[in-house]
Amino acid sequence: MNGALSSNPRPGRSHVGRIWHSGRHLLPVLTLLILIFTVFAITNPVFLSRGNLQVLLTSNAQLWVVAVGMTFVMLAGAVDLSVGAIMAFLAIMFGKLLNAGVSGGLALTITIAAGALLGGGVNGVLIGRVGLSFLLVTLASLTAFTGLVNLWSDTMAIPVQASITDSIAFGNFLGVNISLWIMGVTFILALLLQSRTYFGRDVYAVGGNRQAARLAGINTERTIVFVFALTGIAAALAAIIGIGRSGAASPTIDNNVPLEAIAAVLLGGTRINGGSGGVGGTALGVLFLATLGNGLSLSDISSYWQQIVTGVILVSAVLFNRLSADGGLKRWLEHRRGRHADSDATPVSGT
Amino acid sequence: MRPPGRTPLLALHGLSKRYGGVHALRGANLTIARPGLVHGLLGENGSGKSTMLGVLSGQHQPDEGRVELEGRALSFHSPSDALRHGIAMVAQEAAIAPELTVTENILMGRGLARSRFLIDWSSSREKACRVLELLDLDYDPDWLVRDLRPDQRQMVEIARAISTNARVVILDEPTSSLDAGEVNALFAVIESLKAQDVTVLFVSHRLNEIFAVCDSLTILRDGKTIVEGPVDTFDADSIVRAMVGGDTDRRVTRGPQPATDCAPALELRHLHSTGRLTDISLSVRPGEIVGLCGLVGSGRSELLECIFGVRDVTAGGISVCGSARHGSGPHGAIRSGIALVPPDRKEQGLVLSGSVRTNLMSVATAERNRLRRPIKKEEDPIIAELCTSMRVRLHDYEAPVGNLSGGNQQKVVLAKWLARRPKVLLLDEPTRGVDVRAKVEIHRLVRSIAAEGVAVLVSSSEAPELLDLCDRIIVMSQGRSVAVVEAADASEETLMRLASAPDLEAPSSNKEEWSQST
Repeated sequence: MNGALSSNPRPGRSHVGRIWHSGRHLLPVLTLLILIFTVFAITNPVFLSRGNLQVLLTSNAQLWVVAVGMTFVMLAGAVDLSVGAIMAFLAIMFGKLLNAGVSGGLALTITIAAGALLGGGVNGVLIGRVGLSFLLVTLASLTAFTGLVNLWSDTMAIPVQASITDSIAFGNFLGVNISLWIMGVTFILALLLQSRTYFGRDVYAVGGNRQAARLAGINTERTIVFVFALTGIAAALAAIIGIGRSGAASPTIDNNVPLEAIAAVLLGGTRINGGSGGVGGTALGVLFLATLGNGLSLSDISSYWQQIVTGVILVSAVLFNRLSADGGLKRWLEHRRGRHADSDATPVSGT
Repeated sequence: MRPPGRTPLLALHGLSKRYGGVHALRGANLTIARPGLVHGLLGENGSGKSTMLGVLSGQHQPDEGRVELEGRALSFHSPSDALRHGIAMVAQEAAIAPELTVTENILMGRGLARSRFLIDWSSSREKACRVLELLDLDYDPDWLVRDLRPDQRQMVEIARAISTNARVVILDEPTSSLDAGEVNALFAVIESLKAQDVTVLFVSHRLNEIFAVCDSLTILRDGKTIVEGPVDTFDADSIVRAMVGGDTDRRVTRGPQPATDCAPALELRHLHSTGRLTDISLSVRPGEIVGLCGLVGSGRSELLECIFGVRDVTAGGISVCGSARHGSGPHGAIRSGIALVPPDRKEQGLVLSGSVRTNLMSVATAERNRLRRPIKKEEDPIIAELCTSMRVRLHDYEAPVGNLSGGNQQKVVLAKWLARRPKVLLLDEPTRGVDVRAKVEIHRLVRSIAAEGVAVLVSSSEAPELLDLCDRIIVMSQGRSVAVVEAADASEETLMRLASAPDLEAPSSNKEEWSQST
């Protein structure tokens, strides 16, 4: 290599151009969000009230936190089906700890650490180090943790009376609800982790091409263990938020949580095979689902419609992203045109 | 070429196919005069053979040109279209279900006999037996394919091909994974195919096999048909010349030779890897470029994988600059100063969805604390410097590396290793699928890397590339090193003969014996 630094200035497009380029995958979900937000704001006078918007956000705090954690797993090319069961397990653990007289802060710390340990140590190690399929492993731990939760709790909800859970659900800090603070801080930390650390780069590389990442010396096993630890931590936070809201640690396993989180991540433009996307899109995906659910219930429309709409939009959004990525839409159109041209020109005389 | 007054059985006219900027085929032809012939298709790697076979078997659609079977123009949109017209391909890598029986594999698809709703196993078995008889094979139809040898698996694939009443069977390098006895068994089957008036299109790099079974030949070079004709109008020299081209003097003068007295940067001592490599010893000095030459399956890639720690070494030692290589896995190899440019840049070399920046910096930063922040201002000058020395022009470091051309992608693979300043650079097929200009540039880069004192070990299936690039060339066959030649004394002909000579018992046979045996 020649020692002299190149005089070639860092090439680049305009600032706006770069933002547009990197945020392209957010376009469908952003458009949809603005669209339904406007529709609900016009059709329903209650929708824009401060109280309703706060409910809209806080009632989806669990989904938000889990979806942010799930984004890392999905960027790395996997999916975690076990978050719902791990959430219930950690909820029971947190409830039992508090009822045994452990202080709120300590119980919180233990639960979060347990989440990281269960996610990383069970799912992460089996998938990353042992090399089992993520579907197999997370399905197995979903089943196993469901059994554990029911055994441990005798299928009874554990009532929890503690200042920490009350303040998480209903307390305010600087005039803003604590669960909103949790959502915001989770999001910012995730954003920093994703785009301001080598770990973030590793996650994208592992999802983009695990073999190439490994051959470049990246510790892909550790990366996978860590992303599953992140969903474990997210499950712990979600469990604690849930206890705060209901006042009890419930052994009911909500398997909709991982599925809705996956839907939010995909809506937000993260590729299902990993390697591109990010938490910014996930936040929009969650906001979309939250707005849709809230608006429809305000308008007295069955929540089943929400599910139907979500399904249709999910496929359309992913399809749009697939086609618009790397000029795929253009190529597809050209291909169709090319086919026509071919069939016109088939009979060519021999040489 | 076609005999007057007769429509040839199969004719491909003026096939062209482009992949991005690379012309895989540019007006190639192929004619097989009548049924029951064995027709050889030859060409160096990259000459367009695979693309031509892909067109014939319906996997690719040509941009231009047509396929005629008995004078009728056909257009295939899928392999099943081709099968319906009686053209079946036996792929290089066995496409066979190991957990199923011979019967099931032969009749896979639509061949299994049915009674009303269920599969009629006894008549299916009979059907499979009849096909096996046609080929003179005494296999039990209930054997599990898992238990068969590679050549027997191949026979099952051929049986499958003719069970669909194929009239043209394509064998793509069928002998690459077979030993001498197994090759003879295959030839017997080819003879019985001929007896059934089935036409065989036979692809091989081994000249002795071509002369043993083929009736006629087509030779491709650079996507064009160079010559076609009956096999007896050729001899080994004329075939090699047609494949290689007249310009055998493509060599570029190399700089001063590296000093011969300094300690080796890479040293392998009696390396074994079960089933793949047997007793490989070699050393590469700093600044030296050593080539690995050999056919597919000769163990070239496996050797590089062993050195880089992605394949297990069962015995023997690897040392870098006098000290043993660190730990296991690519991580240890990288810490010891070894770099590998893998053969498949899309699958192994690059994260295509990742940006130019993250790909280029990935190796150099692989050992940093993962919670640290990558500082773009520190990376920019490094990237700029790499780009200048690589002569890659980039508009945007943040754009996905998958948007670059093949040649530039390959330079990025090379550059990401240089960012870490390796002591040993392993290159596996460094110019596969790049255009001619990028190839020349990559060669220039490799030479300048060597000139800075890096030991380079290159594996390539293209003999001219090795002759261009290397100081010494090690010829491998069946996991052994069979000859070492100085590149200055070697020619493509000698390399090809050494690599494709029939396998003899004694691995220590010297060069003279090898050339006599062809």
